[in-house]
Amino acid sequence: MQSTTRWTVTAIIFAALATAIVLTLGDMRLASSQTVTLVAKQADAEVPLDDPFDGVWKGAGPIEAPLSGQLVIQPKGGGDRTVTARALHDNDRLYVLLEWQDDTEDLLVSSQTEFTDAVAVQFPVSEGESVPSFCMGDPTAPVNVWQWKGAWQNDIDEGYVGIDDAYPNALVDTYPFEDEDVFYPARSAGNIFAQTDRTTPVDNLLAGSFGTLTQADDQIVDGSGEWRDGSWRVLFARDLDSGEGYSRFSVNESTNVAFAVWDGAKNERNGIKSVSQFLTLTLSDEIADSGGGIEVWQIALIAIGVAALTGALAFRGWQRSKQQ
Amino acid sequence: MAKVYNWQLGREMDYRLEEAHPDRQFAAVFNINRCIACQTCTMACKSTWTFSRGQEYMWWNNVESKPYGGYPHHWDVKLLEMLEKANPGGQKWDSSQRGDRSPYGTYNGQTIFEAAAATGDENAIGYLPTEEEWTGPNLYEDTPKGPAGVPGVYHTDGAQLPEHNTWFFYLQRICNHCTYPGCVSACPRNAIYKRPEDGIVLIDQERCRGYRKCVEQCPYKKAMYRPTTRVSEKCVGCYPRVEGSDPLTNGVPMETRCVATCVGKIRLQGLVKIENGDWAEDRFNPLYYLIRQERVALPLYPQFGTEPNIYYIPPRWVPRPYLRQMFGPGVDDAIERYTNPSRELLAVLQLFRTTQTIIFRYEIEDGELVSETEINGRTWQMYNDTIIGFDRDDNEVVRVSVDEGIIERGQQYQNSI
Ligand code: SF4
Ligand code: SF4
Repeated sequence: MQSTTRWTVTAIIFAALATAIVLTLGDMRLASSQTVTLVAKQADAEVPLDDPFDGVWKGAGPIEAPLSGQLVIQPKGGGDRTVTARALHDNDRLYVLLEWQDDTEDLLVSSQTEFTDAVAVQFPVSEGESVPSFCMGDPTAPVNVWQWKGAWQNDIDEGYVGIDDAYPNALVDTYPFEDEDVFYPARSAGNIFAQTDRTTPVDNLLAGSFGTLTQADDQIVDGSGEWRDGSWRVLFARDLDSGEGYSRFSVNESTNVAFAVWDGAKNERNGIKSVSQFLTLTLSDEIADSGGGIEVWQIALIAIGVAALTGALAFRGWQRSKQQ
Repeated sequence: MAKVYNWQLGREMDYRLEEAHPDRQFAAVFNINRCIACQTCTMACKSTWTFSRGQEYMWWNNVESKPYGGYPHHWDVKLLEMLEKANPGGQKWDSSQRGDRSPYGTYNGQTIFEAAAATGDENAIGYLPTEEEWTGPNLYEDTPKGPAGVPGVYHTDGAQLPEHNTWFFYLQRICNHCTYPGCVSACPRNAIYKRPEDGIVLIDQERCRGYRKCVEQCPYKKAMYRPTTRVSEKCVGCYPRVEGSDPLTNGVPMETRCVATCVGKIRLQGLVKIENGDWAEDRFNPLYYLIRQERVALPLYPQFGTEPNIYYIPPRWVPRPYLRQMFGPGVDDAIERYTNPSRELLAVLQLFRTTQTIIFRYEIEDGELVSETEINGRTWQMYNDTIIGFDRDDNEVVRVSVDEGIIERGQQYQNSI
């Protein structure tokens, strides 16, 4: 082989290596996922509940789940979307991280025509059982649904949005019995929608077929969501075992999981949603490798270094070949 | 989609849920001719049910001036337009054959449920009113209709019966506690239900998840979203009064607040008996008599298909095509009967606002002939009959005569207030 060629090949190998390092460490996908099994490895660091962008998620292999419109029962709607899903566990809790594109951040339900962005995960209550995901379970195979809402996140981050916030110029003489819950019937009935001191943005729900979705007695799912640059990232977290009646998860076992997304700006709510099929969710005992906390700037530095080295080698080769 | 029988349309129609009926049905008659738009009913409702945060814009009872007024703005014009778009020129009645189960003939157009079938995406056609449309609840108050296409000009010969050229009238509106409610079929969560004992339609405040499908698909726009509790609410038919559980009722069914407070004495409300999917013949129940027997009170926009249960005695002076569009083909007969009332009708009309207790049955005791006159070229005689109303337990609760008599205030009471 001529020396020029030899140097060029070396440079290419270095460049490829650099790219590979960047992609691996930076958790980027070259193409859509090849698998429909979502594997939850054991997290190699603590998974913070309030930061869906935390570095620990670099260790979770993402999969892409295609969603399509719900066209089975009225009201129909939604459309084609893709959700990038990741999962981790720490032997006590399961964490699911969903990411999808949405151009607008719709956080309010304070006016007549505003609807909130939302996302949900659905699991069969009994491991492994699954009916078509859009059916919301069936009477013999109930499902456990965790639904995160942008409006609830906003209540937590910014405080409960009341009439004074939504209509700052509204004038009302007096509200009699203002503090009595009975005049806020949804609140006195214990409807989680009416909470003014929300502690989680995620509703824990159960369903056994269309139209049966009901809030569970225990609101035990934590989470958080953040909208950045046209995408939502939402984290769900719950104990692996929350008792009878709710989905249970065990390490080295599999169950099913499905996703749904609502875009508030398009007035999407209820059946007007995009849904995935059921996928397999496996909790593995393998430890995730989030890169030991390597940060983006470190990756960039390595890449620049490798590129500079590649350039130098190539330049050297070119000089040598000129000298010959 | 199930097939259900809608007697107001004289035919079966498509509905999401199987046909089911309560034992009794909440119903009322509103006599438009007598309303003075004092809004006492409106304030009675507001001060009972909707005075808290998030309910500011809610008027479960409202009185609007037709033809221009409406709350939310233009709700009915919008619905009629949607029906028309779905089925151009098709909203027609055939009234040549009328019977007990089809008192207005047969409606051959499309209902809000049938009009949604074209796309199949929704259970019914409808729309979500905007914030602006929920402002100014009495916009266009007392604004009359003048000559078509000439704004700001009124007929100078405006007031000649049978139809005034310059006209408006008050339309009193509450939830119709429909037999086939648009709100119930719209709710994907089945959070809205019709009570089996009285047909009152309620939104389960624990189950509702604020989707506002009911707001969208109630054609009368009587389901409303409450931003403070993030769920929808609607007229509850004053159910503690109607079921007799409110302490004030002494255990006997009592009329709703908007009905009981009506200053113009235009309202009468009660419970009609349902058997085999239709109103059981209950000849001396004043509501049965006015609606099914005498047919002097008519449903509001029956063509929407929800079988609404507030019935209106149409205003005598309004052009008939407008009224037929609003109350169906029974309008001409109803006005004729009201203008020239039978002895029995005149007696039953006296019951309006004489007691808060719901009247389940009446009896009439014949009285003397007290006057004779001519109405529309025909002799009309007035008898001083006495009508007696009985409550659910068949106890007499009211006794009133057609001729109220004149009572002169004695000299000693002059300026005594
Ligand atoms: S009027 Fe509207 S809210 Fe009331 S029962 Fe009918 S559809 Fe439901
Ligand atoms: S209280 Fe009676 S008269 Fe007054 S606006 Fe209401 S319905 Fe009309």
